[in-house]
Amino acid sequence: MVNESEAEAPVTLRPMLDYPAVQAWMAGLRQHWGGDPATDDPERLPILEVFCRVMNRDPDQMIKETTMIKDGERRIRIKGRTRYADAINAWQDTIEGSRLRQAKWGNTVRSFLIHNGVLLQSGVHQA
Amino acid sequence: MEFKEVVGRRRSIRFFEPDRPVEREKIQKMLEAARLSSCAVNAQWARAVVSFRDDLTKDQLQRLLTPVAALNVEMAPVHIHWFNDLSIVNKIQGSRLKELVDVGALAPTHGWSHKFVDDFVYPQILKPMTEGPGYPIYSTFDVGMAVQQALLTGVDEGLAVCMVTLNGATLKEVFNVPDEWVPMPTILVGYPAESWDGGGQRPRPPFEELYYEGSYGKPFPRDPKVVEDLKAAKMIQEPATPNNPARIAEIKRLAEKYGLPM
Repeated sequence: MVNESEAEAPVTLRPMLDYPAVQAWMAGLRQHWGGDPATDDPERLPILEVFCRVMNRDPDQMIKETTMIKDGERRIRIKGRTRYADAINAWQDTIEGSRLRQAKWGNTVRSFLIHNGVLLQSGVHQA
Repeated sequence: MEFKEVVGRRRSIRFFEPDRPVEREKIQKMLEAARLSSCAVNAQWARAVVSFRDDLTKDQLQRLLTPVAALNVEMAPVHIHWFNDLSIVNKIQGSRLKELVDVGALAPTHGWSHKFVDDFVYPQILKPMTEGPGYPIYSTFDVGMAVQQALLTGVDEGLAVCMVTLNGATLKEVFNVPDEWVPMPTILVGYPAESWDGGGQRPRPPFEELYYEGSYGKPFPRDPKVVEDLKAAKMIQEPATPNNPARIAEIKRLAEKYGLPM
């Protein structure tokens, strides 16, 4: 698993919904799927928080590490995107439970990045 | 299926049944259709390498995955990788044009003869064309026509198809193709895991913005009766609409079935 936190102080996290990147995620989910994404899956925000602690980053920091502004345009950082894609894959494999449960945890974090404009794909996970 | 319905029914399908194999004969039919496409100077630039996903090594498949197309490539059991053989014109040197003369497709009534091809067409038009900067563009147009015939034949055979662009350098290495072959897009082939209509016909720009009559700026008039005829023939179908509850429910179901992010 990718964890660069060893030399750093543990990240201090505020409630997830305080972060603009999480608000953007919720807005994207609401726009695309309807419903109330903050409550319709009670695991959603806690899963992201677990991943934040694994990466020792808050949600806004994760988006800053995967995107950048260049020539006035927002772009995806290729190395950052790859690092997070690999980290999610590795972390997902450590989750206890079925493959579908592992996929759900990984896909929750992917969804957070996707709705912040960072393209990620997961591969097929069937029961 | 009638031709107009085939045109109307085609969608870029992005959810394939990953474990349902495609019959080899259906792939052959797609290739046969490509071979019969219209082609300038009968050169036939289009080449293809058919790749059955499960015959690839894990490393080969991994190398084909691009950020945008990875999931599609993993789900589709068959990939048809297209190439443009830029060397063909100077290999055949007009011989296929002379074949057209021999079979009466190009006739003296239109000024054609073997001597015209040998003395004029190949040395003065085709050979210089291959040395000009526009050559890859002209020839790619013809590859596209061949690929489209394969695509529509796949639809006619009840298959799901989708065009994707993969990394050309990787394709050339993995499939060991000649240097002169320029990588073109890939057709992914399988059976659809989503409904064939995929929520409706995809949005397109208005007809009048695309086609003109006489000169640019004067739209070709769109006759509503023709539109109705094409609806009856199933070429023009119900358009996809934003936030369609049925489509959203379908994607949710597929996401859950295949463990995909939402």
